[in-house]
Amino acid sequence: MEGQGIIFVCIFVPLIGAFLLPIVGRVMPRLRNILALLFVITAFVTAVIALPQALSGTPILWQMKLPLGFTMGFFADGLAVFMAMTSSLVASIIVFYSFGYIEHYPNQNEYYMMVVLFIGSMMGLVYSTNLLLIYLFWEISAICCWRLIGFYRGKDIVLRADKAFLMTVGGALLMLIGFISVYMQTGTFNLLEMQGNTITTAAMVLILFGILSKSATLPLHTWLPDAGVAPSPVTSLLHAAVLVKIGVYVFARLFLVNFQLDPVWDTVVPVIAGVSALVSAGAAMVETDIKRIIAYSTISQLGFIFLGLSCGTMVGAAGGLLYILMHSLAKGGLFLCAGIVEHSTHTKDINKMGGLAKRLPITAVAFALCAFSVMGIPPFGGFFAKYMVIYGAATSASPWLAVMFIIGAVMTIIYLLRVFIKVFFGELTHPDIKEGSWEMVSSVAILGVLSLLGGIFINLPSYVTTFIIESLLNL
Amino acid sequence: MITFATISFLGLPLLAILLLNVVSKKTGGAISISVGYVVAIIQMIAAVVCMALLWMHGKDFIEFSLFWDMNATLGAAKLSVDLFSLVVLFCIGMVSLASLLTAKKTIGEKTLNYTNLLMVIMLGMNGIAVVTDLFSLYVFLEITGIASFVLIALLNDKRGLEGAFKYLVMSAIASALILGSFALIFTQTGSLVYGDVAKALADWRNAQYAPLLIVGFVMFIAGFSIKAGIAPFHGWLPDAYQSAPASVSVLLGGIVTKMAGVYALIRVLNSVFVAMPMINNTLLILGLISIVFGAVAACGQKDFKRILAYSSISQIGYIILGVASGSLLGFVGAMLHFFNHATFKTTLFVNSAAVEMQTGTTDIDQLGGLQARMPVTAVSSILAFLSMAGIPPLAGFWSKLLIIIAVWQSVSAVGGGIALAASIFTAAYFLILQRKVFFGPLEDHLTEVTEAKGTISLAAVLLSIVTVAFGVLFPVILNFLHLQGIL
Repeated sequence: MEGQGIIFVCIFVPLIGAFLLPIVGRVMPRLRNILALLFVITAFVTAVIALPQALSGTPILWQMKLPLGFTMGFFADGLAVFMAMTSSLVASIIVFYSFGYIEHYPNQNEYYMMVVLFIGSMMGLVYSTNLLLIYLFWEISAICCWRLIGFYRGKDIVLRADKAFLMTVGGALLMLIGFISVYMQTGTFNLLEMQGNTITTAAMVLILFGILSKSATLPLHTWLPDAGVAPSPVTSLLHAAVLVKIGVYVFARLFLVNFQLDPVWDTVVPVIAGVSALVSAGAAMVETDIKRIIAYSTISQLGFIFLGLSCGTMVGAAGGLLYILMHSLAKGGLFLCAGIVEHSTHTKDINKMGGLAKRLPITAVAFALCAFSVMGIPPFGGFFAKYMVIYGAATSASPWLAVMFIIGAVMTIIYLLRVFIKVFFGELTHPDIKEGSWEMVSSVAILGVLSLLGGIFINLPSYVTTFIIESLLNL
Repeated sequence: MITFATISFLGLPLLAILLLNVVSKKTGGAISISVGYVVAIIQMIAAVVCMALLWMHGKDFIEFSLFWDMNATLGAAKLSVDLFSLVVLFCIGMVSLASLLTAKKTIGEKTLNYTNLLMVIMLGMNGIAVVTDLFSLYVFLEITGIASFVLIALLNDKRGLEGAFKYLVMSAIASALILGSFALIFTQTGSLVYGDVAKALADWRNAQYAPLLIVGFVMFIAGFSIKAGIAPFHGWLPDAYQSAPASVSVLLGGIVTKMAGVYALIRVLNSVFVAMPMINNTLLILGLISIVFGAVAACGQKDFKRILAYSSISQIGYIILGVASGSLLGFVGAMLHFFNHATFKTTLFVNSAAVEMQTGTTDIDQLGGLQARMPVTAVSSILAFLSMAGIPPLAGFWSKLLIIIAVWQSVSAVGGGIALAASIFTAAYFLILQRKVFFGPLEDHLTEVTEAKGTISLAAVLLSIVTVAFGVLFPVILNFLHLQGIL
């Protein structure tokens, strides 16, 4: 089949390139930064190139036969390419932002290596046709996440990095037990061969543990707010571009496309998602640390994505997928803005900030644009996605679910407005600060504008996501 | 070629001992480490050559003898190498090389004594790998054991002597049990050659004194469990590992306990006690206890080497589990895990040697942030630990996966699930150790520490390359094993 090279470039340029960065960095730090950005952009560009063929109905497929049903392979269907595009787009902006943010800290070689490896593992994961490969990339991302959260090396910080590692790896091990139980049932790890099988409840629950721990959904969410000790571009990467989306993607891949599920899960998963959305929205309302608030907001918004994907209607699923894109852009932007604020004021406590809009005008506008998108204010991208999700839930078998999420959406508006007003309006607390470096400011500006444009030109993304979901579910 | 390769396994160490002791003490000391390098490297090459020959001729094993006629009917012990013994012979060469590389920087004046004993211990381990009868097995077990007691106490310090004494006592008990069990088997079957005993035991329940055989089996399991350090027979192991000189810990942790305990156990199990569910089930339970106990106990340790010792108990549990599953897949998994464990555990002991040499301590509470000062050691220890915790794409993941699938298939899903879930404890002590030693802020009194240069770093780098390459190329290896008809 044509175009296999494209997938390989998309996966292996960041994956292998990552290991070159520390070597280059010893000689020329500037070149290392540019190479890092280049590797991630390569992933984005190749994903875009692969899109037409992925949507054409004959996706690119490469497979290697191995004994024992261990068959390895990569497969670029619409869902995979969409995820790859979303992640690498946001990741490119985050890497660019890092140029400004990270330049005064030690361990930069490790930082760029881990970031690019992280993105490479995400690319590998989305294209995998094999449960073992998914697990493999899943764990690589956990390692990267561990090093990145512990970037500042403080005792407490490393402890939290360990917590994140232990929780996600613990979940992943349970997931692997689930995978092996699927393997025992079907005799293969190959997703394409086991399509349409019904899996046992035990396997489903085990795999769900892995997904919920990675995507930080109640009750396995506690590591995510704690991971806020990482540098802001890293938290942005974790929350918006890569880590939590891995769980969501695997959920979509396995339970939307691949396995037949007992209908009871159409209610159970949305309820977990709903409780998670409400509880974490509540937490976001009382927190005073700007990064923790946005982190809880991530947990809460992931609930919407899970609801969309699991409620069992086509519109809901397409909305969930669309929200992955919109949330990535907006949440990435929010974290990067928080990074600029933290960088300038040297505090994360929103009670000690105020009136910063006067000193950080571009950041304030970008924060507002991203926040509106997450809140779901029309005509921002987030609005359409949230609308589709809630519409999907309302027309599903259990419409009362939609009520939960409407409450969640209202709470989102409240806590984001609270942060915005406290930080950017009122009395100026830090009169002598100035905007971040041009890389940082332009990054948040791009994300803010993209959140708005995503809403104004909603036709294109919504068409793509709907098309992807339709072609997946009609398989 | 084949004669040369096979004879080198037993002949070369003997030759090296002779060579080192006919020349003057001074010359001997000067050349000893280099002679050791040569022996270890030739052994690795010979093992690879033999593997290639096996596959070229499509044979399962090569029989050979050393100084006697192979066809003699009485008193002739045949030697034999098959894939499994070649893999472990390669491991012996590899770990001995790593130990020598470490010793070069750490052993001080005792190079001659150390190399002599290393050659003896290599002879013992190679013997265990190639013999085909129970009595010769016992002889080589003792050679290995005695050389290791002396090696542990090599520096003549109080701690080393204490560890050696503990090992000596436990090992003597184990030897008595093993010898007793062989004796009982001999009285009931009339032979000690693997194949003959296996035939005689095929319907052992009908033997005149079947209960005596059961006693023999129990003594066999207990004896080898002590030698292998399987929980709850592990008491001596952490002390011996901790108190030994750095390069000897590399050797003990990397290969000696695995040869004397695990390999010998597997060999006897596979060639003598063929298809005896009773023994397999006992080992399965012991393996599971070891996995969980070792990993949990490792989380509570405060010393770099003790953590590694307890993790050995846990990892050996996986090897035992794979064999006890009784299926071919489990056996292949166990063999691969044997190799992987030799690689990553040796790496870690080399790392602990580097840390000990550069900072003077292995107490993890006194260390911190060493990554900034010792990047090679830090990175290689991370790779080795991740491999041990079964994180893909490193080597340890694949062997563990095969073992767990084998247990799941042929015994029970619960056993496989427990073994897999116990990996979380492996991840836990990995994190504890990394946080206290390498990750985290640099302690003030360690700012002057530098990387252990030269051979120690070389050993760590080479072993890390093996771990990574074996993991990444595993699909190729799997395919290859499949083409050879093994899987």
